[in-house]
Amino acid sequence: MMHAGMPLSWAEGLCCSMLLMAIWAILARLPVLSEASNRVENSSPLAIWITRLLSSQLLLLSLKLLMVGLFFLVIICGLYGTPLPQQNLATELTWNIWWAGLIVSVFFLGSGWCAICPWDTIASYLTRLNILGASDNSTRLNLAVPGVLRSVWPALLMLLLLSWLELGYGITADPYATALLAMLMLIITTTSHALFERKAFCRYFCPVGRTIGFYSQLAPVALRPVDPQVCSRCETLECYRGSEQVEPCPTGLLMKNLKENSYCTSCTNCVRSCPTANISWKLRPLSQEARQDARPRHDEAWFVIALLALALLHGLTMMPIWEQQLQQLSAWLGESGLLLWGFTILLATTLLLVASLYAAAIAVTMKLCRQRIGFKKLFIDMAFMLLPLAFGYHIAHNLTHLWRENSWSWLLHPFGLPTQALPSMSRVMPTMGSGEAGLFILQSGFMLFGFCMSLLILRHRAARLASHDSNRRGFSLLPLALFALLITILQLWLLTQPMMMRF
Amino acid sequence: MKKTVFILILLQSLALPMIASAHHVMGRPSYSLNEDSNTPPSMQVETRIGDYFVTYMIFPAFPRPGQVGRINLYASTIDNGQPFQGTVRFSVRDDSWFQSKEEIIGDQPVDDNVFRQGFVFSKEGDYIISASFNANGQPYHIDFPLRIGQPSRVGVIGVAVTLIFVLLIGVNIAQRRRVNRAKMRQTQRP
Repeated sequence: MMHAGMPLSWAEGLCCSMLLMAIWAILARLPVLSEASNRVENSSPLAIWITRLLSSQLLLLSLKLLMVGLFFLVIICGLYGTPLPQQNLATELTWNIWWAGLIVSVFFLGSGWCAICPWDTIASYLTRLNILGASDNSTRLNLAVPGVLRSVWPALLMLLLLSWLELGYGITADPYATALLAMLMLIITTTSHALFERKAFCRYFCPVGRTIGFYSQLAPVALRPVDPQVCSRCETLECYRGSEQVEPCPTGLLMKNLKENSYCTSCTNCVRSCPTANISWKLRPLSQEARQDARPRHDEAWFVIALLALALLHGLTMMPIWEQQLQQLSAWLGESGLLLWGFTILLATTLLLVASLYAAAIAVTMKLCRQRIGFKKLFIDMAFMLLPLAFGYHIAHNLTHLWRENSWSWLLHPFGLPTQALPSMSRVMPTMGSGEAGLFILQSGFMLFGFCMSLLILRHRAARLASHDSNRRGFSLLPLALFALLITILQLWLLTQPMMMRF
Repeated sequence: MKKTVFILILLQSLALPMIASAHHVMGRPSYSLNEDSNTPPSMQVETRIGDYFVTYMIFPAFPRPGQVGRINLYASTIDNGQPFQGTVRFSVRDDSWFQSKEEIIGDQPVDDNVFRQGFVFSKEGDYIISASFNANGQPYHIDFPLRIGQPSRVGVIGVAVTLIFVLLIGVNIAQRRRVNRAKMRQTQRP
């Protein structure tokens, strides 16, 4: 079933606005960097209410239990329910609600999902059990994670595998496979928790955690010290080491050094363990972290590039043209059936194309810079500007799934109606009509947000690199601004195209 | 008297939730009918697709491997109830992992306004039966799940639980040995 895309006139209007923004970004003087205050200033009633709500342990526990219940329901419905994906709770809840809504939640709650993740909740519970009753330290070996795995490469590999299963194999249309994947993830999480110290899975291996971790650099909320001076004087480091009642930070973060949200799982262990109650949720400007606080790293830059490519791939695979290209390539390869080789080649090509385009933009920028900045340094540092481009489009694309693909019949019949057939035209756009304008407004808003944030990050990062030259304008940023514009136009074109439903 | 009425009400209320599932033959419930009976129970679906109202029946409702089954399809226009008179193509695909190959069972012409397609499955499992036809230049496609036999799915959960259990036991034993070794080292120190 096809869904009509955003009207072309909307996309043209957005393109014009973005072009003006890009011109401003190039012509205007680069911003003067000032040290932002790290003190938490949540004095407004709304801020106080939000921080209290997010820190509530009762709420956290209730949500954890709810998610565990839903997780088991997904497994049971996937294994024993109808194989028709749009009538089974397993596929509807996993792919249409959770997977699509997860990215939207980052915009409001940062890495809040990690705090209630059922994989971690169940694995943590299982590894706390002292089965044979003879161990002093539960069922954990607490081994150090091998050096080769101490990066985001394992998570990137898992993310590629997950995308391959989702878009190539079509796991989203298979309730049984969805249930198996859920169980497999639980086994991997439990194994990691049982073998390695802290929660190595959350820090190094989880594709979902890393994705929302990087996106949450743009989010308006984060856990931070109320008064950084108190933390700098602290010698007991309960946030890092834990206390008698509270476990240490699962990803080994030290609050006094914390500047990035990427690895924070929002578990609030630090809030509970801090003896001076100096840790709280902080409301901050959007993308502040990606603009000035986050430190560039090689593996993380590649993860962000992959995120952008995979976000584009999500849109591309739902175009009718993709199906034609895939079939042509597979016919040339002599492949039939699921066309997995053809898909794998196209996936690799998309990744390579995005990375090459970005590398080319960096190379030209390097030439235009009066200062001598190495290619690698520029490549890594400027990768932060790709984050909002991926994030904005990812949300805009996912909104289509959330807005149009949910039939909600699975709420009444989670296992599906075993005797109900699947007419391919029975789901003729049930929500089309007056609600469509709302969807397009939201999509336009997120696309504008992504592009605008990308330019801001680009200018701030460039100002950092050219810190000695206060009168510098952004002329040398032209290739990167053009790259951002090109990617955004491509994303807007994808949004205007008719989109094939998952199932 | 009150006691008797109370007991009767209690028995009645206990009996109410016990809803019996019965197949009906000529209006009479028949509790003993199954797929071996002369009039096997069927699975019937009525659905609307585009301009057509489609009725789809499978005999028997719970086919087993090697058993001959039959699909009856009846399609009529929603506007005037005119039965569809073209040809319907029936195909089948295995609904398990990495099995997407579709096999055409047959192209069936109309017979007394009904399209009839026979089938025999040699292996138990989950299948998707598809019926396709073209009417007024529009393609119509209906998918229908069909389970052959009783494929066990407890095994998957069993394997997962066993894996986790073995892992936890293994880690626990290793941890126990570590603790013991540490204690021994401590006692050996002068």
